[in-house]
Amino acid sequence: MIDDITLGYLILLFPLITFVVNGLFLGNKCAKAAAIFAVICNGLAFAAAGTLAFHYFSSDFAPQKAILFDHTFIPFIGDLVARIGMLVDPLSVMMLVVVTFISFMVNIYSIGYMREDRAAGRFFALLSLFSFSMLGLVVATNLFQMFIFWELVGVSSYLLIGFWYHKPSAVSASKQAFILTRFADSFFLLGIVLVSYVVGNFDFSTLNSLSLIDFQKQFINLGLVTIPKSEALVLGSILIFTGGWGKSAMFPMHIWLPNAMEGPTPVSSIIHSATMVVAGVYLVARLFPFFAICDNALTLIMWVGAFTMVFAAVIACTQKDIKRILAYSTLSQLGYMMFALGACKIGQVVAVTGWTASTFHIFTHAFFKCSLFLIAGSLIHQVGTNDLDAMGGLGKKMKLTYACTLISILAISGIPPFSGFFSKDEIILAAFQGQHYVVFGLALFTSGLTTFYMFRLFFLAFHGAPRHEGVKAGHVHEDFAMTLPIAILAIPALASGFAAQPIFEKFFVPGQMNIPQLVRLDHAEWLPFVAVGIAVVALVIAWVLYASPWAKVGRALDETNRSGIYKVIYHKFYFDEMYYAVVRQFIFGGIARVARAFNDYVIEGLLAFTVWFVHKLGDLVRFAQAGYLPFYLGTLIVGVLLWRFFGQLPL
Amino acid sequence: MTNFAIPNFILPDVLLLIFPFVVIGIRLFVTTQSKVPWRMANIGFIAIFFLLNFIPLASGNGKFFICNWKVDDFGVLMREVLMVSALLGMWLSKDYFEHGADKKPPMHQIAEFIGAIAFATFGGFTVVSACDLLTFFLGLEIATIPMYALAAWNKRDQYGSEAATKYILMGSVATAFELFGFSYLYGFSGSLHFNEIQAAVASGSSPLLWIAVLFLFCGIGFKLTLFPFYTWAPDVYEGAPTPVTAVLSVTSKATAIAFLVVLVYGPLSPIQDKMAPLIALLAGVTLFVGNLGALKQSRLRRFMAYSSIAQAGYIMVALLGPATTAKTAIIYYLFVYAVSNYLAFFVFGIIGHHREETFQSLRGLSKQNPSLAIALAISMFSLAGIPPLAGFFGKFHLFFSGASTGHYALVAFAVLNNVIALFYYLQLIKAAWVDEPDGHLTPLRLTKRQREVIILLSIAVILLGFVPFLSNNIFAGFMN
Repeated sequence: MIDDITLGYLILLFPLITFVVNGLFLGNKCAKAAAIFAVICNGLAFAAAGTLAFHYFSSDFAPQKAILFDHTFIPFIGDLVARIGMLVDPLSVMMLVVVTFISFMVNIYSIGYMREDRAAGRFFALLSLFSFSMLGLVVATNLFQMFIFWELVGVSSYLLIGFWYHKPSAVSASKQAFILTRFADSFFLLGIVLVSYVVGNFDFSTLNSLSLIDFQKQFINLGLVTIPKSEALVLGSILIFTGGWGKSAMFPMHIWLPNAMEGPTPVSSIIHSATMVVAGVYLVARLFPFFAICDNALTLIMWVGAFTMVFAAVIACTQKDIKRILAYSTLSQLGYMMFALGACKIGQVVAVTGWTASTFHIFTHAFFKCSLFLIAGSLIHQVGTNDLDAMGGLGKKMKLTYACTLISILAISGIPPFSGFFSKDEIILAAFQGQHYVVFGLALFTSGLTTFYMFRLFFLAFHGAPRHEGVKAGHVHEDFAMTLPIAILAIPALASGFAAQPIFEKFFVPGQMNIPQLVRLDHAEWLPFVAVGIAVVALVIAWVLYASPWAKVGRALDETNRSGIYKVIYHKFYFDEMYYAVVRQFIFGGIARVARAFNDYVIEGLLAFTVWFVHKLGDLVRFAQAGYLPFYLGTLIVGVLLWRFFGQLPL
Repeated sequence: MTNFAIPNFILPDVLLLIFPFVVIGIRLFVTTQSKVPWRMANIGFIAIFFLLNFIPLASGNGKFFICNWKVDDFGVLMREVLMVSALLGMWLSKDYFEHGADKKPPMHQIAEFIGAIAFATFGGFTVVSACDLLTFFLGLEIATIPMYALAAWNKRDQYGSEAATKYILMGSVATAFELFGFSYLYGFSGSLHFNEIQAAVASGSSPLLWIAVLFLFCGIGFKLTLFPFYTWAPDVYEGAPTPVTAVLSVTSKATAIAFLVVLVYGPLSPIQDKMAPLIALLAGVTLFVGNLGALKQSRLRRFMAYSSIAQAGYIMVALLGPATTAKTAIIYYLFVYAVSNYLAFFVFGIIGHHREETFQSLRGLSKQNPSLAIALAISMFSLAGIPPLAGFFGKFHLFFSGASTGHYALVAFAVLNNVIALFYYLQLIKAAWVDEPDGHLTPLRLTKRQREVIILLSIAVILLGFVPFLSNNIFAGFMN
């Protein structure tokens, strides 16, 4: 019997081995072998993670933390030691299962999706690197390890989004994703430096058991100002959150996520469900007790999440590119998770409902969102475009896909008994219990919007008359490798809610904290009915507009005669354009030009002069080397005199 | 106590002393074409090298033979460096006796040639074993005089004769400086013996001592190619046969640096801190001038001459450190330097057998003979000090030694100079890897021996860098 420590190593090693073997050996030679190898290894990783999870949750040990292994990586000074380890607690075990499972599914799916791609071998290598990075991040025992894998996640997402590097749009999207998340990461790094300097430790266990009172009397000099260490910690917590802010694509750093659609669809699927974007939420969840003591950090997190939630949902209602709709829906769902974490704070005390709800939503969301993206990829494969204009009427031809889509969409809309209902209900409950009534209202409203835009997508893609020539002619089929994971994913999309709820309610609490905790709050029994009611109303509206006998689908898709507000929303509030304006005009035109001039005239000039000078000196040395013996003999004498006078000997 | 049994630690030295007579002697009884002397030489050198490895290190003050011949850790390791150099030099030279190279006719009398190398090596042994000025001076001369002969070995090559003439003339002046320095040192201390000189130096200094120091440094500066005594080097390196150049650049340099190490950490150790400015200046100026000179060369051996001048400067940096650190760094670096340098010379030698020894001949090497181009790149990167090759760790130890006594400015200057060095080493690599092949160049053929030696040396360069315990072992030898 393999013990848990070996399992822990195996979970991380299988994807890494896949990356190395496919990247170095199999990838270039035989894409098919690479694909099979990747599927097998990721399947084994999932099996290992599943076994570990089973061991963990079925043992009496369960809600406690354990460290399976811990290797010293860089010993800085004192307790400030960077380690690479594996932390096991309910949150990380849950994430391990999710990441390995999604990665397994996506790998199977990619066999079909990447069948005709020449570089499929590279794709499978990078995909495994991606899941390896995320697994490393999830099991991190300390901030430093998390940052290393955090950056690895960034790099692998960059490589995957820009996978089709011959497409300029893919290249710019990958750059955008990388630069924007790196921009946020630089604050993250600053936060790590600040916090680890103040605390003297990277470990989550230490950070999560801090108390600000210990730091109020000590001061730290930040160069410009001297502030109490407690305030430095609050600043550090906000800086650290900024990393998650960018990685989870919260407003206003959200623009990279919809643009990242340029990558192959399996990549979008894995980015949106298990790796990359949930890293930000995971960071906040992991450091939750730390954020909880840091004054209003959680309030900031809540508002950032809530705003993104509504903002993205509004945009999603108008989009026509199905992957973009899904991308904005991810943003909106991430907003839910984020604000649920933030909403835990009630004055000076903390309720833990939101934390449980948020992690629960990470769990359920992963399945239905992955499934939705895989379905989108499947549809795109049929019609050759992302545009809803070209879809419609696909439901009759793709029966299985149709059924699975319906399950996932009902799940994301929060209709019982599908998985999304349970987690979303808890999130809304958390907002209510936290007495954040504005956010509570927004969450209910967004829940309606979600149902609306998801069913809009559903009706426009699957119902009505076919609008694509190929579909009309009946050239539609369901690829086995692509449909299999979709079908498998429909099961957790349906069942993970009620099946996992007991586990989450039993085990998922953020741990001991140094501030008062509200353990029990009243459960608002009427809340699920209100939420479901709103969802049903939204569903009906979507049906009336897009699928009922009175619906004018042609007009609904036509964007020429629209009001100003619609156009603003359709163009995503012109955020992309604003970014470009700032980058082009201010950064490229202003700062970059000055820097360029300095480089061209001052630095290059100095360099050129140095090179010229050194070469001239070299000429001098060679000139002296004329082969003239008397001169050489002279140098001996001169040399003695030279060192007599300049050798600084006490003569 | 008198004991007529020869102690075993002296065995390699005795063997090496007998060795040239045997090799040359055998020549009298066999035909010119016979391979017996060559095989004997191989067996002899390898046997001596192996015997050296059996002498245990970490022996404290060393063992004495007739109280005037010291075998200590530094000495043993230095002997190993010298033997490696002799062995490689012999292997390199073999081809030059079979056919000509670099537009020169083939050389003759391989047995005597090997004998000369062995004598020079024995000179090096003597330098590191000496306990008094006389032996010390004799060792240096035994190491130098065969070199004069070796430089002119190709009698039909007038450039070689010219080079040898320059070498012997300048060498004589340098020897005169040495002797002058020794005589003042004797005058100052009243003794030839190192221990007594050290005691005298420790008890107080006078201008007499400083004149001795000045002339000793200037004299050895000639052999170590320090500024401005290096002028012979480019001409001799270019004029002498290629294997001789290689031996000159390693054996001769190793002997000279061993001479300085013995002097600075032996009799002159009480005034090391006062000599530091002079050593630092010599090191800095030498490495700078060497690097400058190498910048625009087109002939490979002339280029290697400047490169080895610069390397001498780098080695000098280590002399500023405390004894243990400095000796470790120097020994390790000499190993690395010997291996890297010989690798380069082997590649150049192969080029030289078929083409002119110039940068031009390297063009497109990576396409015609990739393995040779890789070997060249390894040796150049190692000489330039690029991690993880041996050269990097060698330089690191040298600079560490210099920095450990606070000579940060010099170390910074040396590191900056490495940028210039990288520039010209990269030019060689560029010629081999980037430049388009020249159709007029004759194709290269490697003999079995050449291929084996190149593979061996390439692996050695990589391993010396990758396997840190080798340098640690050397270090441990001095830890006592």
